[in-house]
Amino acid sequence: MELSNILSGTCVYDFVRGPLVWISFIIFILGTIFQVFRLLSLTRVEETVKLKSGPGSFLPKRSEKEKTDWGLRARLSIFGVNPFLIVVTTLFHVLLVIMPIFVLGHNILLDNAFGISLFAFPEKTADVLTQIVIICAMIFLYRRLFVDRVKAITDWKDYLFLLLAAAPFITGYFAFHQTFSEHYRLIITLHILSGELMLMAIPFTKFIHMFYLVIIRLTVKSEYSLGQGDRVW
Amino acid sequence: MFRKKNTAGVDSDAIREILDEKKTKMKLSLKACAHCTLCAESCFLFMGRDKDPKYMPSYKFINSIGVLYKNKGNVDKLDLGEIRDIVWERCVLCTRCYCPMGIDIPEMIALARRVCRSQGVYPRYDQE
Amino acid sequence: MVKAKRKPIEEIKEAIAGYKNILNVGCGGCVSVCLAGGQREVNELNAVLKLHMSKDNVQKSIDGYTVERQCNVKFLDELDPMATKYDCIISMACGAGVQNMAERFPGIPVFPLVNTVSIGIDRNLGMYEEKCRACGHCVLGYTGGICPVTRCSKGLFNGPCGGTNNGNCEISNEVPCAWYDIYNRLKAQNRLDDILKVQPPMEWQNQTPRTIIQEPYENRYRA
Repeated sequence: MELSNILSGTCVYDFVRGPLVWISFIIFILGTIFQVFRLLSLTRVEETVKLKSGPGSFLPKRSEKEKTDWGLRARLSIFGVNPFLIVVTTLFHVLLVIMPIFVLGHNILLDNAFGISLFAFPEKTADVLTQIVIICAMIFLYRRLFVDRVKAITDWKDYLFLLLAAAPFITGYFAFHQTFSEHYRLIITLHILSGELMLMAIPFTKFIHMFYLVIIRLTVKSEYSLGQGDRVW
Repeated sequence: MFRKKNTAGVDSDAIREILDEKKTKMKLSLKACAHCTLCAESCFLFMGRDKDPKYMPSYKFINSIGVLYKNKGNVDKLDLGEIRDIVWERCVLCTRCYCPMGIDIPEMIALARRVCRSQGVYPRYDQE
Repeated sequence: MVKAKRKPIEEIKEAIAGYKNILNVGCGGCVSVCLAGGQREVNELNAVLKLHMSKDNVQKSIDGYTVERQCNVKFLDELDPMATKYDCIISMACGAGVQNMAERFPGIPVFPLVNTVSIGIDRNLGMYEEKCRACGHCVLGYTGGICPVTRCSKGLFNGPCGGTNNGNCEISNEVPCAWYDIYNRLKAQNRLDDILKVQPPMEWQNQTPRTIIQEPYENRYRA
């Protein structure tokens, strides 16, 4: 039997849309909690000592504070260094997280399972957003293949995980547009399967960088921390 | 890449001992690096050396501590020599690299320096 | 390492007022570590200066470049191809780096952009504390690792003055007495004998620029 036949077979189809959904969510949630704890256990809270200036203090008086110029800050930040990539990566990552939650089809599944449904994007909007994600993924692929500095640190895993992240969107796009309609069930199976694989992979693979970004930048104090984190390594 | 290693004169156990102290941090940091190259411009050496990718903080981190970690300390003098060039010649440890994920690249480079020093591999400023 | 703090923008503007083509040179050494004069500060200062210039309607061009260390002339060589294009260099290095730069390019005016404050420690992210005044005659060995030159307001070498006040200095209740701390630390280590011997005064009169030669190089450099 061909692989495509196996994948679109009823047995696999039922497993992928049944038990594997729960398994992947459980692995995702427990794995994430474990990794977040692991990450936080590498850091500890350090009390911030405040110094006063004035008579007898070692700290000289503060010179007049310059007004924060947010435009300037933005230009000097990573956004100013690489605006195109920051726009692409922000779009890609934000959509990657919100799309699965707010797509109409997923909401119907949610309604069937729990009787709840969230706000859903109109189908047309979802379609455009999906295309945006795929275009962003292609830009990433282009960088990996042709930009020297990216090539210098790219290994096979980068391609694999890029594919894994983009696969649910590509298959979702095909499914929505009924491309390869004669293989609809295969496409849907691949769509669900790739989504589940990605979910399970998040805590234990390179995808962990999503959490790393949020947790480390927000809690550990460093030159580039976001906000007033008071943890140190 | 699959060169036969000649580990004479290298104490792999000692290297592993040093690496083990920072094992989790090292592992998660290597994992969290998305190979995005956004760190490049924050390195003044990268900017001053015609934007040679070999000066990117991520490149230096992956090819020093990454190599030590992947090989579990089983490296030879040739590997250590390459790491030496990366962590001393191409990094001054100014500790100013930017990483979107907040990976502590300077500490990783410092760790690689420590491993090298433990094996008697370090720059000899008096001989250059 | 050496700790420094950037000068106020007005002072910098005044220094470069008469120059059109300016090169801002950062240093990847100590001033980079203390967030005063690395590449990031070069970019930041240049952006701020450009804003000021467009506000003041002044035409200038300011470029930035960061070298490994300005205190070693070897690292200044890479400025050769570009330096002649500028009519002034502004340097974010410490006082030593600025002077080395001025010596390396004697035809070009060089201005400092930071105030070199101390030899200190990284107390916290962005907070640095003076620990050493480079007096050239270290006494930490018998003062329990607490420097009386830096910490004592009078720089006393043989115990506290009459102004010591329940652990604080007479200049303020906020300033701890160095000698009180020295005494307590040595007492805890059972080393009080160390401060019983009278220490001769420092030869402050010999305050010429100090050069050091590391031991293995004595023969090579000492006449």
